[in-house]
Parts: sequence; C-alpha cells; structure tokens
Amino acid sequence: MTRRVVDLAFGRSGDKGNVSNISVIARTPEAYQTLKAILTPERVKAHLGELVQGRVVRYELDNIEALNFVCYDALDGGGTRSLRIDPLGKSLAGAVLYMELD
Amino acid sequence: MTLRIGSAEGFYGDNVLSALPMITGRHVDVVCFEALAELTLAILQKDKLKDPSRGYTFDLALIAQKILPEAFARNIPLISNGGGLNPVGAAQMIHETATKLGLKGLKIAAITGDDVMPRLEELHEKGETFPHIETGNPLNVSEYPIANANVYMGAQPIVEALKNGANMIVTGRVADPCLYLAPMIWRYGWSWEDWDKLASGIIAGHLLECTAQVVGGNSLAVIDTLDARDLSKLGYPIAHVEADGSFTLTKTPNTGGIVTVNTVKEQLLYEIHDPANYITPDVIADFTTLSLTQDGENRVKVANVTGKPRPEKLKLNFGRLEGYMRELIFTVGYPHAWQKLDQLKTMISETWANLPIQRTEYHLLGIDSLFGGLAPRPTDPLELVVRVMFTAKDETTLKTAVRLLMGNGLSGAAGMSISGTTIGADPRIILGLFPTLINRDHIQPSITYWEV
Repeated sequence: MTRRVVDLAFGRSGDKGNVSNISVIARTPEAYQTLKAILTPERVKAHLGELVQGRVVRYELDNIEALNFVCYDALDGGGTRSLRIDPLGKSLAGAVLYMELD
Repeated sequence: MTLRIGSAEGFYGDNVLSALPMITGRHVDVVCFEALAELTLAILQKDKLKDPSRGYTFDLALIAQKILPEAFARNIPLISNGGGLNPVGAAQMIHETATKLGLKGLKIAAITGDDVMPRLEELHEKGETFPHIETGNPLNVSEYPIANANVYMGAQPIVEALKNGANMIVTGRVADPCLYLAPMIWRYGWSWEDWDKLASGIIAGHLLECTAQVVGGNSLAVIDTLDARDLSKLGYPIAHVEADGSFTLTKTPNTGGIVTVNTVKEQLLYEIHDPANYITPDVIADFTTLSLTQDGENRVKVANVTGKPRPEKLKLNFGRLEGYMRELIFTVGYPHAWQKLDQLKTMISETWANLPIQRTEYHLLGIDSLFGGLAPRPTDPLELVVRVMFTAKDETTLKTAVRLLMGNGLSGAAGMSISGTTIGADPRIILGLFPTLINRDHIQPSITYWEV
C-alpha cells in the first residue's frame, strides 16, 4: 500500500493575502525525523505544481515537532481575487498530506 | 491571581453568543471579540457608503443587546475590534442600547486612529510612498478605486481605556492578538519592553483569536476523537494567564469540544510565516522556544515563550475595488462527456469574443477544483460538473455575458444542464489587498468615551 505523509502527520492551512502556509505536524518524534528528511521545500513545490506559482519556504519547529511551509503566489491572487472554489486554500494542507513517502 | 480571558469571536459573523456561558458561569475576567479578517474592512466600506452611520460589524448590536448586560452586571469588560471603519458610530449605537437597557454607570470607549484614508495626501507629503510589502512597487492610487486604508495598531490604547474604567471597548483595525494582549498588560503592568512576556501574551492571543479552531473546529488532529455532534456547539476557548506570561489554554466548561496539545499545535501554526519572527505591532514573538504540556483534561500549558523588540514600522492594508466576478455551474454527462465539455468551452469563448471579459477559468468540481493536476482524470466519466468563473471591470459586462450565453442555451452540448441558482445570482465585487508598511510615528491612536 502507498504510504503517504498523512500516515505520519496532520496539518492545517491558512492564508495571508496571496500566500498560503501549510503546517505539517508529526504524530511521533520518529515521524518528525522522517518528514524532515523527506519533505524538502523543493519536493513540496514540485508536488503542488500549478497550485503554487511562487517559491516554497520551509521552517522547522523542533520544539513541537512540526514543519511550516510558506507558499508564495499560491492562492490565485488570494482572498476575494481568487477564482478557485477554495479561495483561501483551507484544503491545501490535504495536498501535502497526500504526498507519497517512498 | 490568574487572569482569565475568553474569546467569543474569530471573524465577522462568528457565534458571539458563545460568550454567554463564559460570563454567566463566571469563567472569565474579560472577553475579547476579534471580528476583522484581512478584507472585512473593505466589505464594511460598502455598508458605510450606503449609510455613513454604519461601517461597523452587525455583531456589535447583538453583543450590546444580549451580552453586555450580563458582562456589566459581573464587572467583566468586553473588547471588540468590530468597530471596523466606524468605532465612534458603533460606540454611539452601543450607548443608545445601553441607555434603553438602563445600564447606569456603564463606560464605553471608542478607539480610532487606524483609518488613514482621509490622510493619504498628508502622509505622502511626510514621505510615505506605500511600497508593496512583497514586490516593493509603490501604490498607484489611480490604478483602482481605494475602498479603505487601515493601519494595524497595537494594544496600547486598549490598555489605557481599561485603566480608565471602560466596560465596553470598540476599536478599528487593532491587530488580532493585540486585542487579547491588552488586558494582560492592564492587569499585570508589564513593561512595553518586556519582550518575553509580551510575546507570550501575543501567542495566547494568537491561539484564542480563531475561537473554535483551537477546541476541535477545523481540526484534523481530533477528527477521530471528537464527536461530530459537538461541532455545532463547541465551547469557545479561554486562556488562564499568569503574571510571568505563561498560560493555560482551556475552554468553557460543560460545553462541546476538546483541547489537546495537538489542537494547540494546529492553531499555533495557523496563518503564520516565519515561526521565529511573528511580527505584531507590540513585539516580535518567537514560536520556536515554547513548550506545550497537557495539564489535565482540556488544559494545555504554554511556557518558555521568547520575544524580540517590536518592529520599527506598522503594517497598513489598502483594500481596492478591482472589478467583479461571476459564477456559472454546468453539468454534462455520458456519453462523450469530455467532448461535450470542449463544446461548451468553445461556445462560451465564441459567445464572449467581443466582450471585455478579463479572465475565464474552468474548474471541474470533484476532479481538479481543490488540488489542480494532483488528481487523476477519468477517461470516460459518467458526469462532469464544471464551474465557470469569469471577471470584468464592470458589472454590466458580466450581466451581458450571462444573457448572451443563455441565448445559446438550446444550442449547447447534448444533455447539458445549468445550475439555476447560478443563472440568477448577482456579480460579486473583487476586493484586492495592497499591503504596505508605514512609520509608527505617523499613527496616533485616540480614545473617546461615553457614559450611561
């Protein structure tokens, strides 16, 4: 069976203007080490494809075993400019949790 | 003694009556209502243009009617930034309501100074060029009509109003977590340069400011443990803050919901960028040193927060009227669904060829509307639901576009259908944000009081 990020983590996404931030919160300390190694910003950017037009920056929070991905130009203009059905990107965390681990 | 801060509003339209069980059960010492998302002020501007006495959130009328009498009777101050573009108008409305309710001795404070719309020329002369926070390009005032221009202010004027005995405080654009920081400074007398304590207060505010989202709402962490029946009646959050800045996050007792280390982590990282530099008007908070501990059922202790000196500049958001958008939803089914979709797209582009439509986007609901190209495309689907979104600078163009398209209704793809409610809908305004920074010295908050 395909192993995905969701098996190791949960997360939530939010918006500021045209920027989406996606948290990936590890379920265990071991999962955090695995996620840190696998979820490079380059891989996340490549996975999200057309959804994120700008750069992806990764921040690490070792104290709470979580990663924060800040995705620029990711909401089709953001807020009420966006023509997407999810203009605030509330569901975008799901896209990262869908990533395959292997 | 611990200061207990309740949070009963996280956006304009939230369930503010969640404040009542906090207050009547005497579970809080102060309640804050955070009503302003990034674009709320631009939306309030539309109300104000229709009626200059408006421009504040409707929720304040409900707060004044139903919550203020209970809070005043128990000496629990209420703080709201729902004054929006018209804190003075909001205070006058509250004063009128409180007078009718006979709340003798009640003191209302209105905090203004964030609205720089009338001062743009003066600020420009003082050297402000309003460069975009991301691109650095200066604001072009003639590009789009400006709906509003509001600066994110800090906690200071709220602290002063509390010191002066205000029972109900309404503000304009005070930064969300600063609403919650204010009563802590008032109670404990923290120095404005005690960065670690201020940062801890800001993080408490950040965890409280989205109400339900820290007690099981919008949560993947507790999707398997929270009873779905709770979601319609979550008990909103309360922070118990100590004099040293550490705090325990909990919720209104005897209500639905759950507070765990994981629900706190989810909200901690909600809508933040660099966790070591969470910038607010009063302090830069660092999320990377703090510790979280489950301290009993529905209690999470937050400690060891650190902070850095406040930023030199304040954030200023312009809201601009950039145009209008319209939505239509079509369905096509088996057989040849993909071919029918192509027919529909071609018919639309031909029909609108001579109209000044700016953008047209097609999203397939259930296939690619959330995650774009991540999803596999079915080869020969039984149904396709396509959401067509299109924009123009003016409403008339969009209305003409729909009328022309409906005229071709019987010429459409075989078995094509359109969602009736989308045909009759009105164009929606496109409000764009233009964020910039402004010198702190150029912003002077002021407070006006009313007594009943």
